[in-house]
Amino acid sequence: MNKKDRQQAIWFTVSGFFMLMTLAVLAAILYSIFKSGAAVISWEFLVDAPRRNMTAGGIMPALVGTFYVSSLTVLIAVPLGITSAIYLNEYARQGTIVRIIRLSIRNLSGVPSIVYGLFGLGLLAATFRLGTSLLTSALTLAIMSLPWVITASEEALKAVPASFREGGLALGATKWQTIRQLVLPNAVPGMATGSILALARAAGETAPIILTGAAFFLPNLPTALSDRFMALPYHLFILSTQHTQIERVRPLAYGTALVLVALVLLLNMAAIIWRYQMRKKQTW
Amino acid sequence: MQTNNNNNNNNNNNNVFEVENLNLWYGKTQALKDVSVKIEGRKVTAIIGPSGCGKSTFLKVLNRLISLIPSVKISGSVQFHGKDIFSDGINLVNLRALVGMVFQKPNPFPKSIFDNVAFGPRIHGKKTKSELADLVENSLKKAALWEEVKDRLHEPGVSLSGGQQQRLCIARALANEPEVILMDEPTSALDPSATLKIEDLVRSLREQYHIIVVTHNMQQAGRVSDNTLFFLNGELIEADTTEKIFTNPKDKRTEDYITGRFG
Amino acid sequence: MPELGDAKKIQLPLRGQRDAYIADKLTEGVKKSHLANFFIEKFFFLCGLTTIVILVLILGFLLDKSWPAIQEVGLQEFLFQTRWMPSSPIEAGFGALPFILGSIFVTVGALIIAVPWGIFSAVYIGEVAPFRLKEALKPLIEILAIFPSVVMGFIALVVLAPLIGEIFGLTSGLIGLTGAIILGIMTLPTIISIAEDAITSVPNDYREAAYALGASRWQTVRYVSLPAASSGIVAAIMLGFGRAVGETMAVLMAAGNALSMPVREILGLPFPTLMKSVRTLTANIAIEGSDVAWGSLHYHSLFVLGLILFIMTFAVNLIADIMLTRFQEVNRNE
Repeated sequence: MNKKDRQQAIWFTVSGFFMLMTLAVLAAILYSIFKSGAAVISWEFLVDAPRRNMTAGGIMPALVGTFYVSSLTVLIAVPLGITSAIYLNEYARQGTIVRIIRLSIRNLSGVPSIVYGLFGLGLLAATFRLGTSLLTSALTLAIMSLPWVITASEEALKAVPASFREGGLALGATKWQTIRQLVLPNAVPGMATGSILALARAAGETAPIILTGAAFFLPNLPTALSDRFMALPYHLFILSTQHTQIERVRPLAYGTALVLVALVLLLNMAAIIWRYQMRKKQTW
Repeated sequence: MQTNNNNNNNNNNNNVFEVENLNLWYGKTQALKDVSVKIEGRKVTAIIGPSGCGKSTFLKVLNRLISLIPSVKISGSVQFHGKDIFSDGINLVNLRALVGMVFQKPNPFPKSIFDNVAFGPRIHGKKTKSELADLVENSLKKAALWEEVKDRLHEPGVSLSGGQQQRLCIARALANEPEVILMDEPTSALDPSATLKIEDLVRSLREQYHIIVVTHNMQQAGRVSDNTLFFLNGELIEADTTEKIFTNPKDKRTEDYITGRFG
Repeated sequence: MPELGDAKKIQLPLRGQRDAYIADKLTEGVKKSHLANFFIEKFFFLCGLTTIVILVLILGFLLDKSWPAIQEVGLQEFLFQTRWMPSSPIEAGFGALPFILGSIFVTVGALIIAVPWGIFSAVYIGEVAPFRLKEALKPLIEILAIFPSVVMGFIALVVLAPLIGEIFGLTSGLIGLTGAIILGIMTLPTIISIAEDAITSVPNDYREAAYALGASRWQTVRYVSLPAASSGIVAAIMLGFGRAVGETMAVLMAAGNALSMPVREILGLPFPTLMKSVRTLTANIAIEGSDVAWGSLHYHSLFVLGLILFIMTFAVNLIADIMLTRFQEVNRNE
C-alpha cells in the first residue's frame, strides 16, 4: 500500500468514525428516552391530570393543551401561508417586490423563536390586550411557522405540471378558475404534508409559549381562547428544571419526553408516508 | 405577404385570421419577423418549418396564449374575423373558447373522461346535467372516441392510451364549440397508428372547423392540409396551397426544406 | 342500446355571416371579468405581502419597545457593562455583556464541535458511503433535526451534564461546555445536509480531471471537492451559527444560567471559558420574560436583548444567504 492509499484509508476511516458518532448520538437519545420513558407510560399517564403537586398522575391537560395550541396554529398559519404561496408561484412576476418577499421569508425563518415570543408578548398580549392566552400563543406560533408553510406550499404548487395551467387557460378558463380547479386540487397533498410538518414543529416549540400563555399548572382545561393552557414541552421543562422535587419527578419527566418525541416522530412519519402514498397514486 | 391562394375579393372573403406585419420578441430575441398572412376558413392549414423557426410561437399568438409570457413584446395586428385580438377590451376567455387548442403532449387533467370534456362548458356556465351529457357525447363522437370510452366515462382520463388521450384533448376543445382549432404538433408524442387516427380525425373535422396544425412532419402536412405556411428563422417564407408548396415551391429555401436539405 | 346516430354536424357559416357574432363575443363582459380578476389578483398580492409586513413589524416593534430602555440607560451600558440587576430598587444594572459573550462563546463552542464533525460526516455520506447506505443515512440525519429543543435540553440535563460533571470533577455539569455540546449536536443536521449538498454539487469535470492526474479519491475530496464547496460550507456554518445563537431551551436547560462573565483570569488577563455556568441572551429572556412587570424598565430592557439577538441573527443569516446564492450561481455557470 503506498502513501497515497494509506492516507486515503486513514481519512476515510476518520470520516466513517464521525458518521458513526452521529448515529451513536441519535441512538443514545432515542434509547435513553424510550428506555426510561416506557416504564412510566400507561393509559392512566395519558388520561390523568397531574396530582399531588405534580409528583403523581399524568399529563392529560398538557397533551390537550398542546393539541389545542398546535391545531389553532395550523388553522391560522395554513390559509395565510397557502395564499402567500399562490401569490408567489402563480401571480407574481419576477421583480423587486418578489425579491423582497423571498428575502423576508428566508430571514423570518432565521429569527430566533424567543424573539417571536417577545413579539407575541409585547404586541399581541400587551399592546393588543389579548393577554397571555391560548390565542396569543397560537398567533405567535402561527407567525413563526408561516415561512415553513409558505415554502412547503410553494414546492407543492411548483410540482403541478405547467401543462395543466396551459390546458385550462387554452380552454378559456380564467386564471383563478385554472388555479382553483386544476392547480390547487393537485397541490393539496404536498400542502397537507407541509402543514403536518409545521404542526409537528409547533407542537414541540417551547420558548415562544413560555412568554405568551403556557401555564405551570392549571386545575382545569382551557375552555376559551383567552384562557391560559398547559403544554407538553413546557411541562417537560417544568418537571425537569423548575420542580421542587426534581429527582422524584424525573420518571414523569422521562414519560413526558417520550410522549412528546413519539408525537413529533409520528406526525413526521405520517407526513412522509402520506406523501409517499399520494405520489404513488399521482399519475403525472 | 399577400398570398394568391385566397379568393381575395370582398364579396367572398373567407379569411378567419388576417395577420399583418406581426413582429414578436422574447425579451431581446426576435421570434417572429414581419409576418403577414391570411388564413382561410373551412380549410386545414399546416404550418411547417424546422424547430425553432417560430411556428409554435405563431400558433400561440392566435389564441393569445403567448400573452402569458411576461417578457413577450408584440407589434403588428392579428385580426380574427376582422377584429384585432390584441386591441384593448378583448375578452380572452371568450377568445380562447372560440379558438381551441390541442398541445404537443396530450395533457388530460387528472379528472374523469367525462369531467375532462365537460371542463370547458362548465366554466362557461353550462350547468344542467342533460346539456352537459349531450355536449360530452357529441364532442367525444366528433373526436372519434365515443365508441371506445362510452362505458367508462367516469374513469380517469389518464387511464387512456396516448392516442386516446390526444383525442380526448381534442374532444375537450370541441366541447367549447369553437370556431378554430389550433394543433401544436399533435402527433409528435404518438405512435404511427395513433397518428393516422388523429389525421383521419383532422380531415373529418375540416368541414366544421377552421383547423391550423403545426407539424414537423412534412408527409403529415401533405396528407391533411389544404394550405401550407413555411416558416424559417421567424420569417414566413412562403404560403400557398399545399399542392403548390409541395410540387412547385417558389422559394429556393422552401424547396430545400421540402426536399430534406435542412436538418 | 338504441342507435344514437352520428355526431351532429354543423357546417360553419362563411365569414360575412359570422363577423358580427364573433366581434360581439370578443368584447362581451370584458369589464366585469377584468374587475373580478383585478380583485382576486390584488387579494393574493396582499397575502403575499404578509411576510414583509411581519418582518417590518417585528423589527419596528423591537425598536419601539426597547427605545425607552435605551434612552434611559444608554446602549453603551447594555453592550459593555457586566452587572445585570434590572429590577434592583437600590442600584439597577443593565450590563448585558455576560449574556452577549455567553451567547457567542457557547455558539462558537458548538460550532467548533459541530463543524469538523458535520463536514466529516458529510464527506462520508457524499464520497465514501455506497449508494444504498447513503439513502439510508440521510433520513436518519433528518430525525436528529426533528427533536424539539426542549427534549434536547432534557437529554443534556439528564445524560450529558452528569457525564461532564464526572469527567471534569465538578459538582454540577451544567456549564457552558454542556450547552455547547448539545447545541453542536442540534446544529449537526444543518451543517451535514448543506455541506453534503455542497460536496455533491461540485461538477464531475473537476473530479474527473483530478482522477486523470492520478489523485486518489481522498486527495480529490481534500484538494478539489472541499475547496470548490468551501463557500457553500461557510454558508452552512453561518446558518448553523444563526440557528445556534437563537436557540433557547437547550442552552437554558444545559448551561447553568449563572449571572457571571464567561471569562477566567489567567495571569491577570481575561480568557473566554466554557468551564463555568453560563447564561445566554435567549436564556435570560426566557427566564425573566414570563414574570416581568409589563411596561417596567426591566420589561423594556428585555426587548433590548431581543433586539441585539435579532440583529445578530439577521446579519449572520443575510451573509449566509448571499454566500449561498453566489455559490449556487457559480455552480450553475459551470
